[in-house]
Parts: sequence; C-alpha cells; structure tokens
Amino acid sequence: MHSPVADTPRHLTEPAWIRWGLITVACGFLIVFLLLPLTFVLVQAFRQGLHAYLQSFSDPDATSAIRLTIIATVIALALNTVFGICAAWCIAKFSFRGKNVLITLIDLPFAVSPVVAGLVFVLLFGAGGWFGSYLRDHNVHIIFALPGIVLATTFVTLPFVARELIPMMQAQGTDEEEAARVLGASAWQMFSRVTIFNIGWSLLYGIILCSARALGEFGAVSVVSGHINGKTCTLPLHIEYLYDNYQLSAAFACASLLCLLALVTLVAKTLVGRRLRLSMEVADDVPGLVPTAVP
Amino acid sequence: MSIEIQRVAKRFGSFVALDDVSLSIPVGQLVALLGPSGSGKTTLLRIIAGLDVPDSGTLAISGADSVSATPRDRKVGFVFQHYALFRHMTVADNIAFGLTVRPRAERPTPAVIKQRVDHLLHMVQLEWCAGRYPHQLSGGQRQRIALARALAVQPRILLLDEPFGALDAKVRAELRRWLRRLHQEMGVTTVFVTHDQEEAMEVADRVVVINHGKIEQAGTPEDVYNAPCSPFVFDFIGQSVSFPAVIRGGVARFGAMSIPVPGQVSDTEEQAIAYARPHDLTLAPTASSEGGIEAVIERIHAIGALARIDLRVTGRTTPFEAQMSSEALQPLGLSVGQTVRVLPRRVKVFRTAAAPVT
Repeated sequence: MHSPVADTPRHLTEPAWIRWGLITVACGFLIVFLLLPLTFVLVQAFRQGLHAYLQSFSDPDATSAIRLTIIATVIALALNTVFGICAAWCIAKFSFRGKNVLITLIDLPFAVSPVVAGLVFVLLFGAGGWFGSYLRDHNVHIIFALPGIVLATTFVTLPFVARELIPMMQAQGTDEEEAARVLGASAWQMFSRVTIFNIGWSLLYGIILCSARALGEFGAVSVVSGHINGKTCTLPLHIEYLYDNYQLSAAFACASLLCLLALVTLVAKTLVGRRLRLSMEVADDVPGLVPTAVP
Repeated sequence: MSIEIQRVAKRFGSFVALDDVSLSIPVGQLVALLGPSGSGKTTLLRIIAGLDVPDSGTLAISGADSVSATPRDRKVGFVFQHYALFRHMTVADNIAFGLTVRPRAERPTPAVIKQRVDHLLHMVQLEWCAGRYPHQLSGGQRQRIALARALAVQPRILLLDEPFGALDAKVRAELRRWLRRLHQEMGVTTVFVTHDQEEAMEVADRVVVINHGKIEQAGTPEDVYNAPCSPFVFDFIGQSVSFPAVIRGGVARFGAMSIPVPGQVSDTEEQAIAYARPHDLTLAPTASSEGGIEAVIERIHAIGALARIDLRVTGRTTPFEAQMSSEALQPLGLSVGQTVRVLPRRVKVFRTAAAPVT
C-alpha cells in the first residue's frame, strides 16, 4: 500500500499541520473511546490473577449464562438466515404491491429501542398479555424462559442477513436463475446449485454481523428474561448481575469473553468482507476480460 | 418442433408488450424476431420459453398445448443476451448443468455426461477452456459456451435473445455465420430476437417484424425487403427515403412525379408518403431530363465502390441520400451545389391515415 498523499502533487494536499492535526485527533479519539476501555476491561479482569479469572467461568451461573447465550444466538441466527434469504429473494427477484413497505418493515428493529421490543413480547406473551391465559392453560412458558429470550434476540437481529442479501441479489438479477429453470432445474436445484453460491459471501457476512449483535444483546433480552440466575441470564445479563453485586473481577472476566468474541467476529467480518468484494468484482466485469489463452 | 402461437397478449402494468399476436413457425426453420427495443419481441421469446406467461392466447409446441407447461417440460434451449453463465461453475460444469439436474432415473452416467460436454466443447471450438471459469473468457467465447449449454439438453427448440448484441462487430459477423452453419447441421427449430435488421436479414430463413406489440410483417428476408407492407417496415428494414405525397383520383403525386395507386379511386385528396430505397434513385442533370424531384447536391462521398450523395429538396430541411456505384457516378460529372432531378426507379406509396407513420 502506498499512501495517496505521497502520490498527490503538493498543491493538491493540505498543509502539514492540518494533516497531522487531523491524524492526531482521529487517533486520540480512537484511543480514548476504543483502546482504553478495551485495555481497562482486560486489566480489571486479570486484577486478581489468572486463577481468579478462570474461576469466574467455572461458576455454574456463568457457564449457564454462556450456554444460554450460545443457544439463543444459534437459534436466532438460524431463524434470521432462513427469513433473510426468503425476504431478500422476494424483494430482489419479484415485483409486487407493498414491496417498499416490506423493505421498510425489515429495518424496523434498527429503529425501535430494544427495550420497547422486549416490552412488546411481554405484552403479547406475558402473564397479563394477549396470549397469556392461553399459554398458561397449555403450560407453555415464553416470557422469563428460553423462548422469550430467543424471540427477543431474533427480533433485534432480524435485519442483518436480509439487509446484506437484498442489494447483492438485486445486482445479480434473475438471469442465472432463469437459465437454471430453462435447463430443467427444479426450484430447489436452482436455489441450492446456483443462487446459494452467488450469495454465499454476502450471506456469511450477514450471519457474522447478526451473530455479533445476538451475542451482545442486552436491552430486549433484559426485559423478557426475568434475570433468574443460572436459568434465564444470558452473558450480558450475568455481567450486569456480577457488577451490581460488586464482583468486579468476575464481571470484567465475563466482559473480556464478550470482547474476545467481538474481536473474533470482527476479524471474520474483515476476511469475509474482502472475499465479498473480490466476488463482486468478478461479477462486475461482464464482457471485458481478456482470455488468458487463444484458441 | 413446430411452434403455434394464437392470439397471444401480454401486459406489464399499463404497458402493452404483446397485442393479439399470432405466429406459426414450422419445424426446422430459423426465424428472426426483429423490432425496435420495447416492441415486445423479447416478451414473445420468453413466452415461448415459459419464462413469461401470456395474459391470454394459446401456445402449442409440436401440437401440444404448452401455456401451462414448465420450462423443463418444453425442452427448449435458451441463450440469454448477457449469457447468464453460472459464474461459480467451470465451463464444463456449466454445459453439464442441464444433464446433472435431471431426475436420477433420466440422468445420464457421469461418463456419458463428460462425453457429451467434450463433444459440445469441440463443436463450439473451445475444448481448451473446459476447466476455466466464465469470467476468464471473452464475450464471444462466453456466448458460444452459453449456446453449448443450451444445446446440451438436446432441445426441441433453440431460443436466442439478442445473441450477438453485446459483442463487437467482427466477432458478431463471425458468430452469425457460425449460427447459420450450426442450424444447417442440427436442423433444430430456432428463434432469435434482434434489433439489428442486417443480422436478421443475413441469418434468418424468415423475418418477423414486430412493432408496438404487433406483428407488422412476416416473410422471407427478400419479401420483407422488397415488398414491405407498411411504412414502419419500409423504414425499419434497410435505408429509405421518403417524400410527402398527395393521392387523388387513384394517382399519387409528389414533385413532378405521378404514380398510379392501386385500390379504390376517390376524388378527395388524401395525404400519403412515398418511400424509395436510396439505391433506387437515379440522378440526372436538370437540363437533359424532366419529371422527378428537383434537389440540390449538398455533399458527395465517393470512397470505395459505393458512392453516397446527400441531397436536399429546396424548401425542406432534412437532407436525403442517393446511392450508386462510384463507376456510375463518374460520367455524370456532378458537383456540390448543383441542382439535379431525382428519378426514383421504384416507389411505394402509403396513405398517411391507413397506417401510422412512425
């Protein structure tokens, strides 16, 4: 990589003091708001030594919280992947009345505060809610139980996969799908042998964003979970509980785990993003490419 | 297989793509659907393929009603304008696709599929690129692979949507000849869509001219060129020169020309347009001739075998062109600014009211 500044003629660049000033401001901001907190989390987590750090995870409440977070994330991911593909497929490949309404609705979870989303589920499925008495009669527990947590997580992370897929699918058009159909492929063969490969990297990118958000979800889950330790506490809720009870070291240990997961997804996101751009570039050049051999 | 289209109509919202179209294509013919963009020609092709469903009308492929048949059951091969090759598959996998998606019972063995792919690659002269991906090929090569992929399923009908539209002129000319030869060898009923009249005239057995969702004329290229049945066809196919004319008493007059018009004779005056081909115009000095239309020479291009002369009738703004061989031009001794008589050897007159002039 060579910097664009070095290649730009002098009269087109800003004076040195502006360049360095901007760089300093940007770096300072990053340090104060990103690097310092991250370091602080790690420092706090290891304050009482490695043994105490590892001890925080062997606590049954902590393991239960980790397990619950992973279960909720996996289910929400699966649901949103299926929904995202279906919605993007409808929007990108067909034109119908109310298409714009659907596109707007998909974005709703971004706009609504997660707390409100959680409250909506309590209102629907809670003891005094619309379906409350029916659920009680049939002995189904949604609120203050796993289903509620999954619902809340799914709602909050709903837009990610669809949002990634829609522009990709729209850009690709329907030519290849139509080609597959004319060649005799069934709808499933068309999807599993053509579409899924064309959207693969976008889909993975969406799934990574979705999982990052699902792992850290606090607001909506906090409303529906009921904070029953060892039962309905996800990792973020468990951290809050520890913090409120002055178990700072354990709280930061768990927080460091969330940070680690975030970093892993970030790296994955960057790698996948790079592949995605590559695959888009390949898709972009339709006629031009010179063949490497001539018949 | 034969294709029988009866009274097919298709709308997209308020846009009428096809308006009561009937067409029958006999077995083994190579047909061009020719028209300007938005004329409905591609919609007709997609309806034959089963990619679009007509709002009304019937479609029969080799006698069997096919409107509700899936693309799979129609056994058609379709070549898309932008090739639509599967970008994540190698060329060989692309060609094999139609065979590998067949139900297990009908699917050929891998060895047979490979043999068939090799045969098709040989036919399109691209054996060397079996393991390559579509993005590694040039436009012309991709188009040939798209054709091989369509032929792999041994279609009863081959449909091509603007097959050479995105290619440069030289590759296009080569592929046209190649398609013609391929059609002769295989004898599959073939329909292709094009907006390029030259391409239609050169390749097809029969040209179907479509405009505004209706068939204007269908016939051999010679018929369509020599006996256009509407002003649109005259204008769209080949080059044309038009003069405003007036019909009265069974005679059309324009300039100092009068041409008998068949049909009923009426004494009322009717507006009309007289069409001629640029190569059907004779130029003569005003002194040594009479009749015709007087026009001033604006420019003479005489490079190569064909000479083109730009002329303008006094008082009219749009110039027109006359064509003759450079050899014929020489003895006339024409010069720019000179007034000459234009004598059309063949003229076709259309009443303005009878057919819309586009």
